[in-house]
Amino acid sequence: MSIYKTAVNKPITTVMIFTAIVVMGLYSLTRIPIDLYPELDPPFLSVITTYPGANATDIEQNVTKILEDALNSVDKLKEITSTSSDNLSIITLEFDWEANLDEATNDIRDVIDRTYQFLPEDVERPTIFKFNTNMMPIVFYAVTAKESYPGIERILDEKLINPLNRIEGVGSVGMMGAPKRIVYVEVDPQRLDAYNMSIEQLGAVISAENMNLPSGSIKMGLMDYQLRVQGEFKESAELNHLVVGNFNGKPIYLRDIADVDDREKDISQDEKINGETGLRFFVMKQSGANTVQVAREVQAMLKDLKKTLPPDIEINLILDTSHFIKGSINNLSSTLLYALFFVVLVVLFFLGRWRATFIIVLTIPISLIVSFIYLFVSGNSINVISLTSLSIAIGMVVDDAIVVLENITRHIERGSSPREAAVYATNEVWQSVIITTLVIVAVFFPLTLVGGLTGVMFKQLGWIVTITVITSTFAAITLTPMMAAQLLRLRPVKADRKKSLYERTIEPLLAWLENVYTGTLRWMLKYKAMILIVALLLFGSSLALLKFIGTDFMPQTDESSITLNAELQTGTRVEETMKVARKIESFVFEEFPEIQILATSAGSDDEGSMFSLFQTSGSNVINMTMRLKNPDERAEDVWQVAARLREKIDVIPEIVVYDISTTSGFGGMTGNTVNVEIYGYNIDKTNLIAKNLADRFETIPGAVDVQISRKADKPELQVILDREKIAGHGLNTANVSSQIRNRVSGLTAAMFREEGNEFDIRIRLKEEYRNSITDLENISIVNQMGQRIKLKEIGEVVEYFSPPSIQHKKKERLVTVMVKPENVSLGELANSINASVSEVEVPDDVKIVVGGAFKDQQESFMDLGLLLLLSIVLVFIVMASQFESFIMPFVIMFSIPFAFSGVFYALILTNTTLSIIAGLGAVLLIGIVVKNGIVLIDYINLMRDRDNRLEDAIIMAGKSRLRPVLMTAFTTTLGMLPLALSSGEGSEIWSPMGISVIGGLLFSTLITLVLIPILYAMMAKTGQRDKTGRLRAKFTELE
Amino acid sequence: MQAVFIVFNQANTERVEYLLDLLEIRGYSWWSDVKGRGSVNGEPRMGTHTWPEMNSAVLTIIPSEKVDPLLEKVKKLDEINLDVGVRAFVWEVVKSY
Repeated sequence: MSIYKTAVNKPITTVMIFTAIVVMGLYSLTRIPIDLYPELDPPFLSVITTYPGANATDIEQNVTKILEDALNSVDKLKEITSTSSDNLSIITLEFDWEANLDEATNDIRDVIDRTYQFLPEDVERPTIFKFNTNMMPIVFYAVTAKESYPGIERILDEKLINPLNRIEGVGSVGMMGAPKRIVYVEVDPQRLDAYNMSIEQLGAVISAENMNLPSGSIKMGLMDYQLRVQGEFKESAELNHLVVGNFNGKPIYLRDIADVDDREKDISQDEKINGETGLRFFVMKQSGANTVQVAREVQAMLKDLKKTLPPDIEINLILDTSHFIKGSINNLSSTLLYALFFVVLVVLFFLGRWRATFIIVLTIPISLIVSFIYLFVSGNSINVISLTSLSIAIGMVVDDAIVVLENITRHIERGSSPREAAVYATNEVWQSVIITTLVIVAVFFPLTLVGGLTGVMFKQLGWIVTITVITSTFAAITLTPMMAAQLLRLRPVKADRKKSLYERTIEPLLAWLENVYTGTLRWMLKYKAMILIVALLLFGSSLALLKFIGTDFMPQTDESSITLNAELQTGTRVEETMKVARKIESFVFEEFPEIQILATSAGSDDEGSMFSLFQTSGSNVINMTMRLKNPDERAEDVWQVAARLREKIDVIPEIVVYDISTTSGFGGMTGNTVNVEIYGYNIDKTNLIAKNLADRFETIPGAVDVQISRKADKPELQVILDREKIAGHGLNTANVSSQIRNRVSGLTAAMFREEGNEFDIRIRLKEEYRNSITDLENISIVNQMGQRIKLKEIGEVVEYFSPPSIQHKKKERLVTVMVKPENVSLGELANSINASVSEVEVPDDVKIVVGGAFKDQQESFMDLGLLLLLSIVLVFIVMASQFESFIMPFVIMFSIPFAFSGVFYALILTNTTLSIIAGLGAVLLIGIVVKNGIVLIDYINLMRDRDNRLEDAIIMAGKSRLRPVLMTAFTTTLGMLPLALSSGEGSEIWSPMGISVIGGLLFSTLITLVLIPILYAMMAKTGQRDKTGRLRAKFTELE
Repeated sequence: MQAVFIVFNQANTERVEYLLDLLEIRGYSWWSDVKGRGSVNGEPRMGTHTWPEMNSAVLTIIPSEKVDPLLEKVKKLDEINLDVGVRAFVWEVVKSY
């Protein structure tokens, strides 16, 4: 018993099965997290090794190089890059996207185990760091305070961070730029010398005094008492009265030789929010948590928590990644609803009957809901890609149901009972319905096989369209006949019946359209060659236009966020950096009303937070995060604002280089830069070439933010000791250097405890005695015998320059010059950069390669091209077996290039660049074009097999198939129209796809209707009548 | 006793069944999925892609007095829509056991 017969005979079972599917789908929907993109686990692993005291060159030679050589053998490794900087070696291993990172981690661990013994002794064990998109903070808040500022870290820690950490899905909450309290004991070295004491002695005294010690227990009478000595300082001022020694029989108090200063730690980083003192905190989510939900809960909880905070503390949102996600998803969801509405409208327009429309439209939600089950089961999220996939699918899922229902209606109108009509009509068409579905699957299924970043992005699209289309076919041959059997009734034909509105208006219109089309077709069949030449000319001209279309990797999006990263002269002290930061802030406040919140951080946190891994930091660096008003509330888009900002920053003399980026979060993955990599061992030589190239790039129109990855040499002060002299004084390098460190950086003698918190007590020289080379040379070093030796007696202090970091790629030293495009496409920029690079003379030992996002783009286009090929092959296979012919597939295939012409024309007309997304739209066109072609050719074949003349068959088929072809074209075009026209948040991502699909589809529908019949007429001259002739020739003996 | 052979479009299956019941004809032989085409202008019923529809056929041996009412009903059935198609043919049954 066939499936459709069962479905028609058991309507309740059928309804129940589909209800079950819908219920499961809706349940899944409530469980699926919402995100911007499918979860990407970037295939990067870092090996981080610290070697205290070593400079960049030491690290490079003794650590990085050895590890790199060893790590190079790890399986599936794609590329190895490294940065060797002072004290730190970071090696980044890039794997193939399909690689299993757990295995890779184990491999790396093995390699490290083997290699560790060959590293210098003081090197700490290398750690493996796995980067994860979840580590990107999902929300950033700015906190400003006035009176509470000094104690803000504790207040926030207790009242904000701890409660927030308890929210489900929050990975961690971190703070940046909170002031730290330290008790400084700042010593006057002259008095120290006069009393014959040293900083180490002071430290010993303070640490000996700051002590609570249990001293046993005493039994007294009936009781057992604990005995304790309570020596810990209750307040920092007590330190002043500490007796640190004796001189001439009189006690020396600490206040005699030093100032005790209980205050915020010296600034090395300055945080300002909208120009006020403040700090930032951020929330990271756990892996797999729903960004939107976590962000919402954090916001809600913050509202409550704010009430418990002192009134002068203000909390402002700087960055909420969920905001953009929510905006995009909402936009896409409403787009989806519009698409649904349009599809219903089109179906109603062409069928003109409510019940039939209802039966067909019912397949839409069912097919779409099934994709939610897929998303849930595969652990995916609802994101831009999955929703776009649904919008693509929505126009296609009704096609099968329409074919089935049309045939059923035909049978009913011939007088069959609806039930019988449903069974027999479905029997007649179910095979061709499945074939057309196979074509769509042949186009989309290969998407699931593509590798690389493109593959990760489009796997979902492939699966979703495949699944929804298969479901729709299933529904079309079960649910549709069942519903038709239940709902459709034969309309009794009465002669005097008044015609309905539809029959009076739209039906004549469609009939007129059919007549116009068949008339045109008849005319065109007489001028086949001419039409073909015109078509080829159109195709040729579109190819010629191709070079005016820019290419991009991913379309840029306006995320209402700008980050500025500016560097001053290397070695600039933080106070100077702050001044420049204030200058930038002042004009931002005055001239950029679009910017709502501005968080500035100048200098670097010397303790090094995890963030220093991702951003350049240093006392000379300014980082600014700006949040703009929503796109619809401002006149300029984010790129225009960024361009204006660039103009202003260009004229600040202190800023050496800067970088303005308009992406956040995911932007890191798809950075939009062209990187010119200069490989060569000689640092000076490659520096020179990099500088030369950078200067040239600056002059290329459209090139902005030209940056050289290797920072300018950094000035350092080096103490060079005379070994003979220090030996003569009974000293060695170790104790001299530790004494210098204690005097300059400070000696942490003890912890000052207050209300459960600990603060460092740090002893060091007063600032005025340690801020020039002369001061340093006058530092007294105390030897074993208690003698004081000035530093200048045993060595000298010299200034020198060293490279702050050395980068490697593929184990070779390199400098990268990065360039961002402005108002030009990435491809164009890469071309002009290539031209510019070829003009530069390069020595033999230096190699220049152009890469960056441009390389990713090329790789992705290559993947896409391969995909195209795979799809075409599969489609050919399906069609060749469908028609049992090699000619028919070619007739249909011939129309595919014209679909691309349509894409190119549409891109040119709307001034859109060809990105991966637009390219994807082109791929999916193949499916639709081929489907239309099959529908038409199949019918022509049918008419010829029924003994019609070639031309008549073509005209008849054209007349009969005009409606279905137009219907597919209209449902898909109108379904895509909201995508193409949407202008909300994130629309930049998908509107290119809408544009390319609409352009391609309109053009290719025309091609289907015009070119395919003509090609058919030219190529398929033999038909049924020739077969009869051949048959007669075969059986001549019977004549 | 006369034999009536009715061959009809599958889409008429239920009506033919009903017809036999109506005339209280109990015995018949039934062929499903029969190929064929009409002698004059009847559309071929081949179950192929070109001619997807199929016929069914029923052969019933009935007393001669039932033959005319049956043919009358078949004619009515055919007149609902000539495109669908149903035909009946009658011949004598010489012997039976």
